[in-house]
Amino acid sequence: MRMTPAVILVGILSLLAAITLTVVYWPYSTIDRTPSDIFRQRTVVEAAGRKIYLENGCVYCHSQSIRAFDWGHGADRIAQAGDYIADEPIALGSQRTGVDLSQEGGEHPDDWHIAHFINPRYTRPSSIMPPFEWLGMARIDTLTQYIQSLGFKNADIRMERQRYWKNESIKAYEAGPDANAKWLAEIVPEGWRNLPNPYPTTKASLQRGHVIYQKFCIGCHGPIGDGMGPAQPWIYPPPLNFTLLKGREISGGIIYYQLMNGITGTAMPYFKRDLESQKIWEVGDYIAVYFINQSDANQDPRGIDAAWEP
Amino acid sequence: MDRMEESLQNNNPTAKAFTLTSAAWFALATSFGMIAAGYLIAPDFMANIEFIHFGRARPMHVNAVLFGFVTPGLLAAAFYFIPRLLRTELYSHKLGVFNAIFWNITVLSGMIGISFGYTQGREYAELPWPVDIMVVISFTLVVINLLLTVRNRVEPILYVSIWYGMAAVILTACTYCIGNVIWKPDTGALVGIPDAILLWFYGHNIFGLLLTPLALAAAYYVLPIETRSPLYSHTLSLIGFWSLIVVYTHIGTHHLLQVPVPTWLKTISIVDSIAMVIPVMVVLINLWLTVKGKLGAIHASIPAKFIFTGTIFYFFVNIQGSMMALPVVQRITHFNNWVVGHAHIGVFGFAGVTALGALYFILPRITNKPLYSKFLADLQYWLVLIGITGFAIVLTIVGLIQGNAWYNGETLYRTLPEIQPYYVLRASLGAFIMIGAYLGLYNIIRTLYFNRGAST
Ligand code: HEC
Ligand code: HEC
Ligand code: HEM
Ligand code: HEM
Repeated sequence: MRMTPAVILVGILSLLAAITLTVVYWPYSTIDRTPSDIFRQRTVVEAAGRKIYLENGCVYCHSQSIRAFDWGHGADRIAQAGDYIADEPIALGSQRTGVDLSQEGGEHPDDWHIAHFINPRYTRPSSIMPPFEWLGMARIDTLTQYIQSLGFKNADIRMERQRYWKNESIKAYEAGPDANAKWLAEIVPEGWRNLPNPYPTTKASLQRGHVIYQKFCIGCHGPIGDGMGPAQPWIYPPPLNFTLLKGREISGGIIYYQLMNGITGTAMPYFKRDLESQKIWEVGDYIAVYFINQSDANQDPRGIDAAWEP
Repeated sequence: MDRMEESLQNNNPTAKAFTLTSAAWFALATSFGMIAAGYLIAPDFMANIEFIHFGRARPMHVNAVLFGFVTPGLLAAAFYFIPRLLRTELYSHKLGVFNAIFWNITVLSGMIGISFGYTQGREYAELPWPVDIMVVISFTLVVINLLLTVRNRVEPILYVSIWYGMAAVILTACTYCIGNVIWKPDTGALVGIPDAILLWFYGHNIFGLLLTPLALAAAYYVLPIETRSPLYSHTLSLIGFWSLIVVYTHIGTHHLLQVPVPTWLKTISIVDSIAMVIPVMVVLINLWLTVKGKLGAIHASIPAKFIFTGTIFYFFVNIQGSMMALPVVQRITHFNNWVVGHAHIGVFGFAGVTALGALYFILPRITNKPLYSKFLADLQYWLVLIGITGFAIVLTIVGLIQGNAWYNGETLYRTLPEIQPYYVLRASLGAFIMIGAYLGLYNIIRTLYFNRGAST
């Protein structure tokens, strides 16, 4: 084959045209643009927040697309083409240096996000996300509204729930420590409330609990458990001062349940995904022993001792 | 040697200008890379500096390596070897030098734009609309200059390097316009899933229709000359060229295998990703058989050493890439540092290292003096080789840790402390590459402007 300029030019350009038609134009013209069940249009503020998201390269660390085999953030709704019909540009992301955000709306209340944007280490001590305090409060608010809309109608339902419980938690907090502790215990289902920590306190378990506390809780509850971690100024109701719980019959079961499930409406997140059962019991016992100064570990009723217990 | 060839050798201000461009942006781009790598280790170290925080430094790094370092480096070589292969003068050196200056203004505007938040937020298509237009103009000027050179040629036969070089700049001028949705200045994007399909069609063509053919053009030119061997096979050159154009353009959707895009499109992209073995291996067999038995000559020549190393990385990136396009493999490798490893092996280990070799090949020929320091060039070779090999190993390990942990249900937050040491290692290896880049810049400036060495 003799490669003349004409052969090269005509050859490459017609190939490119043909291939572009097949793999770009054809899908473009045949794709289904029906909205998915959760889709809704964004408000003006949410759209402005999305712009801040794009300008600051959040997309290089955060995907917005859940796969069938994911476990972490947002894993309960697998992405559908109809979720993206208003996205220009689409912000799928190609890397997860941070978590997937496609269902982030309502995952936390606004105050958690604001503290997190000011400095991610405040709410997530081992985070490597850069701080965004320089955006200033106005833009952080706008950005937060966008984040709270991720997941569309599902996000709206979650936000509704967050707002309802935010009101309840503020009422309880403002009614004083007694009322707050009572409220905190009462939102835990009956069965859990009467459940002591079934495992014994050991030196090793306290040490493990300490490590977990450092990596997950210290930014809010503070190094001495008084609720004065660096996130405290941005969070309301503020992180709990554990010493207030002394003498209020807080069972291991209450602490376990609150850690597992979080306290919706407050900044207190759920740790069910991050921590396995043993870790939740042990960090719970750690705060009970060191900060509340009162632990019901290994008290009756505790069932049969597990095989590994000393 | 007739008078004209003499002048071809003596005076190639276009190639010089692009050489300097490439060397300077290599240094800058690796500096941005170090900043990005630094943020991943210590996000509070440079806290709250709007213009260089990770979300800005990363696209600056990527655009600077693509459009500042690798492409101009390979173009410098093309501006040298295309006229020589055609035994004619470049159509216009005035245009060429202007092109290089304009190119720098373009890349610089892009960098400043991104650092101020003017970005279209699409990976590899970040540059804002006015800069997009400037990029298209830059490529068009290259196309015009080279096409007119081809028209004026003395040599009737077009060598394979010319096919690749011409195809790269012509096709990229087209795909850049399409991929950046240049007819929509406000967003530069389509809406929804078609935007993702288009973006990755374009994104992959940046590697497949720009970097790869330009790098192969340089390899096809330099390796036979430095080893004094004729090219092994014209037929293989033909197969390699046409299959590259056909196959590489089909595989963009392998970036979207886990996203709701039409299944037929995913199938095409997977099949063709495997078929990428054809254009890659055909070219490699052709080149490797050309230099067969000449490893001594390669070892003795700085440019050949770089470029031969580039072909080895090309082999790896292909085997790795074809594997990553298999859905079972991608379940683990997608979304994590494995892909970043692959990106560095491809864009740097193959295309970037080839560009460096090509620069060292043309430098003595366009200045008529030996390289200012062979030692520095050799040192740079080793720094770069250690750096990129280390990157490949470290990033692949991190990728496997992340991918397997997530697949088993461990949350991302739990994996952060596990990968921290590898981020430190990556930055340390990056320092090798960055030092190499600055040494190279020094060496190249000395060679171009302050070289007291005897002229040859
Ligand atoms: C260097 C990469 C990086 C960049 C850039 C980045 N993030 Fe993050 N992000 C992370 C990491 C890592 C986490 C997980 C740890 C944590 O929660 O801080 C995270 C977590 C988050 C979370 C909390 C998810 C949750 O519920 O736990 C939100 C919301 C978030 N990022 C939003 C953003 C926004 C908005 C931007 C852009 C302004 C951004 N991120 C930029 C890495 C990044
Ligand atoms: C983002 C901040 C934040 C983080 C991180 C956080 N907490 Fe909390 N925590 C709170 C807030 C806010 C409350 C509720 C305060 C209120 O309603 O008065 C709370 C409440 C609690 C309670 C409620 C106890 C009860 O009486 O029901 C426990 C126990 C607790 N936190 C333990 C932890 C532990 C252990 C961790 C780490 C694994 C942790 N928290 C991490 C903010 C946080
Ligand atoms: C030759 C055969 C190749 C194949 C089959 C291939 C395949 C792939 C696949 C499947 C991905 C997507 C990974 C994922 O997101 O999970 C990918 C990403 C990538 N490839 Fe290749 N690749 C090849 C060669 C190259 C070459 C030669 C280069 C560079 C010149 C390159 C540069 C990249 C880059 C930069 C990315 C990252 C894109 C991103 O930002 O997500 N690849 N490749
Ligand atoms: C000093 C040396 C370098 C360092 C420290 C470095 C660091 C980085 C970092 C931190 C990222 C972002 C990865 C992430 O998001 O997790 C990145 C991405 C990238 N780098 Fe580099 N880099 C260096 C050199 C280079 C060179 C020389 C090239 C090419 C010639 C290159 C090409 C790329 C590409 C294409 C990406 C995008 C990868 C993707 O999207 O998957 N880098 N680099």
